[in-house]
Amino acid sequence: MNLNMNSVETLVAQIHGLSGSISDINQLHSLLKQSEDLFQSESTRLAPLLTELDPFMHSLGYLYILDACTSAPISKEQASELVLSIARFINLCAAEQIRLAPDKFTSVCKRFKDQVMLLEDPMQGVAPMLTAIRKLQLSSEHLTTLHPDFLLFCLLAKCYKPGLSILEDDIFDVDQPRDFFLYCYYGGMICIGQKKFSKALELLHNVVTAPMSILNAIVVEAYKKYILVSLIHVGQFSISFPKYTSSVAQRNLKNFSQPYLELANSYGAGKISELELCVQAHNEKFEFDKNLGLVKQVVSCMYKRNIQRLTQTYLTLSLQDIANTVQLNSAKEAEMHVLQMIQDGEIYATINQKDGMVRFLEDPEQYKTCEMIERIDSSIQRIMMLSRKLTDMDEQLSCDPLYLAKVSL
Amino acid sequence: MELLWGNASGAVVNQVALEACVKACNEGRVVSSQGVVFQDEWPYAIHLLGHIYINYINSARFLWNSIPLAVKESQPEVLAAWKIGQKLWTRDYAGVHEAIREFNWSPEAQGSVTSFSELYTERMFDLLVSAYSTISTQDTALFLGLNADDAANYALEGGWTLDHASQMLTVKKQAVATEQKLDLSKLQHLTEICFPP
Repeated sequence: MNLNMNSVETLVAQIHGLSGSISDINQLHSLLKQSEDLFQSESTRLAPLLTELDPFMHSLGYLYILDACTSAPISKEQASELVLSIARFINLCAAEQIRLAPDKFTSVCKRFKDQVMLLEDPMQGVAPMLTAIRKLQLSSEHLTTLHPDFLLFCLLAKCYKPGLSILEDDIFDVDQPRDFFLYCYYGGMICIGQKKFSKALELLHNVVTAPMSILNAIVVEAYKKYILVSLIHVGQFSISFPKYTSSVAQRNLKNFSQPYLELANSYGAGKISELELCVQAHNEKFEFDKNLGLVKQVVSCMYKRNIQRLTQTYLTLSLQDIANTVQLNSAKEAEMHVLQMIQDGEIYATINQKDGMVRFLEDPEQYKTCEMIERIDSSIQRIMMLSRKLTDMDEQLSCDPLYLAKVSL
Repeated sequence: MELLWGNASGAVVNQVALEACVKACNEGRVVSSQGVVFQDEWPYAIHLLGHIYINYINSARFLWNSIPLAVKESQPEVLAAWKIGQKLWTRDYAGVHEAIREFNWSPEAQGSVTSFSELYTERMFDLLVSAYSTISTQDTALFLGLNADDAANYALEGGWTLDHASQMLTVKKQAVATEQKLDLSKLQHLTEICFPP
């Protein structure tokens, strides 16, 4: 036993000595890998050694020892201290060093996540997890296993802004499919919370149409939300899947979301009273799935859609007629609905209280402002970048041995 | 942080200071929750008012949901601040003014509340200009949080006209004046994309 601790002390000395240049670090890395068993056997006695190391200069060595310490079971009293010390390490460590041992770093962060969940204080996890992602990522296009954990913290802590900043990154590299499903699902929920329905729809669409050989629970829940967000944002829902959807999803998803599909049908018919009947009939199911809030938004959207539809037929219409057509209780209610839509930019209209009329106007956008040129320019840049990426991926794929094997048969 | 509060609750409140205050509050909450129990001392009322001022009602909602019950029950100013946010969320336009007026605000909060009240009246006036061609003085008064006479005067100063007999105000629309400083290089760039040299 003593012999082992001596070896550990020697290793610590070597960590101190070999944390200078890149070649030293590589040498240290091999030494550490060889000493895994040693660390595991002494895991309960390693904690004090951490005080001898600097989390920034000796990140790699610190990481190995921290990983071994945290692999032992943790008591609740130790949990909050552990959470603080891992958070400190994440904030201070050197990215180049920890990227040499990504699996170790990931498992330390996973344990961090478990302890934060045990303490039931997700707010503590938000900032460290974001830092961890930025240090672990090889580029902003790389999706790590930590991404979904971070988004989960954001959701639980109701701290959505940091989540949105990560969601703005375009992802091209994915480590594990499961990470991708969870990332898009949680990301969709965050966007829904911030009323960014367009982005939410995109993320949920990615979950539903992702390649898969068997159905999983994440996809089933995502599909339900996908239907609802589609109704809110686009005003309609089509039950046919895009061609690139997996056959397993196409065959089975509908079986798990009957109430939602019925709601979509009812919405398509356009009558508020029928829609509300449908909502009441499936109230329990919606509540159980925690989708009741979204369902309520679908109902209030219907009023908006019906009013918007009127603009296609009429130039002017009385408030009373609007109330009657859209099934509102009074002209005053209709006036408030129209006012809110004007405030949100969902309709171009002017209310004339003297005559009790609404005049519908054309979209005043003339597409000749400076902002419009900026938007066109940045959209074109983005598409050119995507097109280049697609060409590169196509070239890489056509040289891929697996692909060539399948194609040549 | 304290300096920002000082700025925020001072007599002259400007948008930049409040936005910085909200940002600091948001980040501070995230940073401070790492191991330090700040819950009770956190300036929730000011934080809420900050969100309300810069019109991030969604964020105010989430902040409200995360405030511990103990704080909600013991700090009536937090409840009062939230009431304003709630009225904004449900678009009870007149209710916002009532919520502002009915509470006796602390000195720290009074500055933010007064500035928000003025800003909100301006915003409501702009909304009326964009949405109405004619509107009764009574409704205008509700939207602006003024009595009927003051509301009519406010409108008249904005260029509207009043028909005394029917108590109807006719709105004066703003001419859309956009300074277009065109960046010629952007046009050049777009041209080159379509017609490569």
